[in-house]
Amino acid sequence: MKIILRKQVIDILKNLREKQGLIIASDLANDLNIDYVVLMSAINDLISYDLGGFKEEEINHISLNKEGMTYLKSGLPERQLLEIMIHQDLKEISIEKFIKLSKMEKPLFYIGLSNLKQNKWIAQSKASGESMIFLTAEEFPKTEIEQFLNIFNKKKVLNYSELSPDELTIIDVLNKRKLINKTQKTQRIIFLTEKGKKLDLDDIEELLQVSKISSEMLSTGSWKDVELKAFDVTKPGPLLKAGKIHPIINLINEIREVFLSMGFTEIRGPIVESAFFNFDALYQPQDHPARELHDTFYLDNPKISKLPDKERVLAVKNTHENGGESGSTGWRYKWDENIAKKTLLRTHTTATTVRKLAQYYLEIDKKPIKVFSVDRVFRNEKVDKSHLAEFTQIEGIVIDDNVNLCDLIGLLSEFYRKLGFKKIITRPGFFPYTEPSMEVSVYYDKLGEWLEMGGSGIFRPEVTYPFGIKEPTRVLAWGQGLERIAMLYYDRKDIRDFYINPIKWLRQQSYHK
Amino acid sequence: MPTIDLKIDRLERLVGKKLDIKELEYDLQWISLDLENINEEERSIKVEYNPNRPDFSSPEGIARALRGYYEIDLGIPIFKLTSGEIVMKVDPSVKEVRPYIVCGVVRNIDLDEDEVATLMTIQEHLHWAVGRDRKKVAIGVHDLDKVSPPYRYTAVKPDSVSFTPLHGDGYPMNLEEILLLHEKGIEYAKILEGKELYPIIFDNNDEVLSFPPIINGELTTVTEETKNLFLDLTGTDFQAVNLALNILSTTLADMGAEIETVTVQYEGGKDIITPDFNPKKWEVRTNYINNVLGLKLNDEEMIKCFQKVRLNANKAKRKGYLEIWVPSYRGDIMHPVDFTEECAIGYGYVNLPLTIHDGGIGNYHYIHEFSNKIRKIMIGAGYLEVVNFILSNSDKQFNYMNQEKDEKNLIQILNPVSNEFDTTRVTLLPNIMDTLRLNRSEEKPIRIFEVGDVIVLAPEEETGARRDVHLTGVTYHKDADFTEARSVVDYIITSLNLQENYEIKPSTNPTYINGRYGEIYINSNKVGKIGELHPEVILNFKLEFPVSAFEINLEKIK
Repeated sequence: MKIILRKQVIDILKNLREKQGLIIASDLANDLNIDYVVLMSAINDLISYDLGGFKEEEINHISLNKEGMTYLKSGLPERQLLEIMIHQDLKEISIEKFIKLSKMEKPLFYIGLSNLKQNKWIAQSKASGESMIFLTAEEFPKTEIEQFLNIFNKKKVLNYSELSPDELTIIDVLNKRKLINKTQKTQRIIFLTEKGKKLDLDDIEELLQVSKISSEMLSTGSWKDVELKAFDVTKPGPLLKAGKIHPIINLINEIREVFLSMGFTEIRGPIVESAFFNFDALYQPQDHPARELHDTFYLDNPKISKLPDKERVLAVKNTHENGGESGSTGWRYKWDENIAKKTLLRTHTTATTVRKLAQYYLEIDKKPIKVFSVDRVFRNEKVDKSHLAEFTQIEGIVIDDNVNLCDLIGLLSEFYRKLGFKKIITRPGFFPYTEPSMEVSVYYDKLGEWLEMGGSGIFRPEVTYPFGIKEPTRVLAWGQGLERIAMLYYDRKDIRDFYINPIKWLRQQSYHK
Repeated sequence: MPTIDLKIDRLERLVGKKLDIKELEYDLQWISLDLENINEEERSIKVEYNPNRPDFSSPEGIARALRGYYEIDLGIPIFKLTSGEIVMKVDPSVKEVRPYIVCGVVRNIDLDEDEVATLMTIQEHLHWAVGRDRKKVAIGVHDLDKVSPPYRYTAVKPDSVSFTPLHGDGYPMNLEEILLLHEKGIEYAKILEGKELYPIIFDNNDEVLSFPPIINGELTTVTEETKNLFLDLTGTDFQAVNLALNILSTTLADMGAEIETVTVQYEGGKDIITPDFNPKKWEVRTNYINNVLGLKLNDEEMIKCFQKVRLNANKAKRKGYLEIWVPSYRGDIMHPVDFTEECAIGYGYVNLPLTIHDGGIGNYHYIHEFSNKIRKIMIGAGYLEVVNFILSNSDKQFNYMNQEKDEKNLIQILNPVSNEFDTTRVTLLPNIMDTLRLNRSEEKPIRIFEVGDVIVLAPEEETGARRDVHLTGVTYHKDADFTEARSVVDYIITSLNLQENYEIKPSTNPTYINGRYGEIYINSNKVGKIGELHPEVILNFKLEFPVSAFEINLEKIK
């Protein structure tokens, strides 16, 4: 039979042929600086050609434990006590004083004392009423135990089977004094067979090693003659540049699913909006600070927006000026149509909601309406860690007869529960177009804190009456910024991260909760 | 949102109760105040209030609400008001410039340091919240004993009157000079822009008390020795000037001063007496309040809720109605619906039950569903999604892309805070090129896509513009070329089952390399672009490998 071996096995074989005496597998692995498992697999290769083998042998190892190791350095307790007496030139001392002087723990002190007695180096007397110690010897040679301990200075581990009967007695003593560890293990002795010792090395063929299987190797069967190089399976692979959805879109879709599961329909409205729908229809007076330039992106082109039908515009105008049909006092000022015609980038998706109200007015069959949007809005603000000039707003709306504030709290708790926040709290708040208004906070388990989430309320009659929505039909609304939730979901501290697309992060972000 | 600082010791004195900061933090939220900040060392807190409640701009105002919340006092607080002799004559000439004035006299003031600070804060807040930065209301506070009544409110030619203004250089200036040279004049000159006559308040000896809404005279400066105050509030809205006067004078009354009325004589013998602390009466149906809130409170329970928020309420003659009385310092009640929130606060938001309103069939918006379908296709092609702002920069949109900037056909933002945003995007490609620029040191290949809105001018639309959803994809690495982009577009089109009438027609475009650019057609409609980017464009974005790209208008293939 032709002998085909890997290069490594051939090297090991050569090495074994040069070695004399007993070859212990673990020692050899150390010598060759290879893994034990790799060595034994090489030996197995030798076995398959009857070139070598191994036999197993039980061995008992003896080594000093931690306590034993300290005595090896500083001497056994009896020697330590003796040293104290000699150094301080004490011929006699009371036990009580001796304990204090030695600074040893009591049990250890008595072990030392009893060994001193055994060695006949001291005697104890109670003649004066107090227990006293007397030195009784002149010389204090090293005891058998002390001499034996010295062996461990040269050899860490002793083999039980190699010890003499006298030494074994000492081992027994050490064992009783709990100064040694006994370990039992099986060791493998490697040997070569006669064939292995005498074989002409030139008769061995070296097995090829490859890292990839080629199509040719598979078709010709030559894969059998090669060895596939082992990979380091513990090493991480290179980063996969996978296709993946963006974290913000992922969250938007989760929230859209929540709305859908609650029976809401998605609406979408213009981003370039008229001041009429963004502000006036929401009963924000034309001198309201929020309408000013520094909060709103007004447009130079297109500059002017068309308004809805005259009747609607008049109704909104009257509501601002004197309350119109709504039963309100109104804001008591002269409403200017030209201000309402200004174009802007919508500051909230509520502008789209009001368009929905306008549409509702036109419908003859006034069924309840549940709508939502998760869409972009714009604020003319300086961008920083926690502010964006453009962000995503979540908004939910219910139009129905006799809906009330408690229904709204029910909707809010259901909505946030589905987003993973089990507890919510609602407090009084203020928004120009809702009354009553509520601020919503949720309990975030991970931080153990209440977090402010968004606003909610029932649309004021001044908002709904101009669009024909009158008592007892009411409009429940709630909304909040999406990025605030995103920062919690994805544990990001800087809100801008979501729109500057750090590709390294996008490639690695997990969506699993 | 406006904030004020509250010292706990002072608040305790005003509320008449020991206050624990932790408990206070909890309690304040139920009367719609938000604790912003705690300073344990100084035992003070910062509290945010809503802009519809300017009466919360002083510790006195907040203490009133807390006394109701703790049920120490119920109903409207009582303020003593003495009838006074002082007269303010209003000349008809003010009609055109600043038609309204109301006044008050405050006697025997003895203010400590904190109270003086409150007086400054409250004026500042009223100027902002009620006065719309002095346009609607401006407040003047004077040392009453430095001038002699009766007073006159009139309008004069800007150069006809001179006086020494407060915080000036100590010499007289005429009104025109004040607007040009005085710090406050410069700040508020815009309120008087285009007016021929400027408002002014004189005393009986033609000494100037005030040049509203700009600055007071130095003569009536309030000092530590001041014992009696004269308040003037001028403006363009009669209710607003009254509200500001009432908030200011009730706060001073809470500080222990005596408030005295002033007779304001308008032309034609129309005299009004201010301040007027009489509450305003409303009649509201109890069922309406219960229905909006979802509660079933009986009359007594509901009356108690109103009293807790410092309103008065009693059964009206009309069955099923309550008479509700609103104190003169509240300006936020304009509709019966406003009482629903008052009632809820009195009841305690924390006590409101929840009801489940379910039912209904929901649907997604079609373009968003389609966008998600496209996203799945792109992820299958191994593209990573990115998201950019719709706001954009016109240089990046055009110049960087080797395109002419056509100002007329551009969405233009009037007043951007930062120059980074002066327009909205008309195509997605420039923004995603910027994404490549920011990530150019990341491991290649980089293949990214975006599905998002672009804004296009559309005169036929109500607001003059339309939003369309586009898809763009770019591939960036040393071997990126037209062919790679072409396979992706082919795959998208096939995935959407549109391959029947799909073709790419060769064309030219300065953004792309000649001969490596085409327009995407479906059913003879141009739906998009595809090509290898021009080296100049690549370099404009500081990139160092070829880029191939495509952009498709999803509205045209949905």
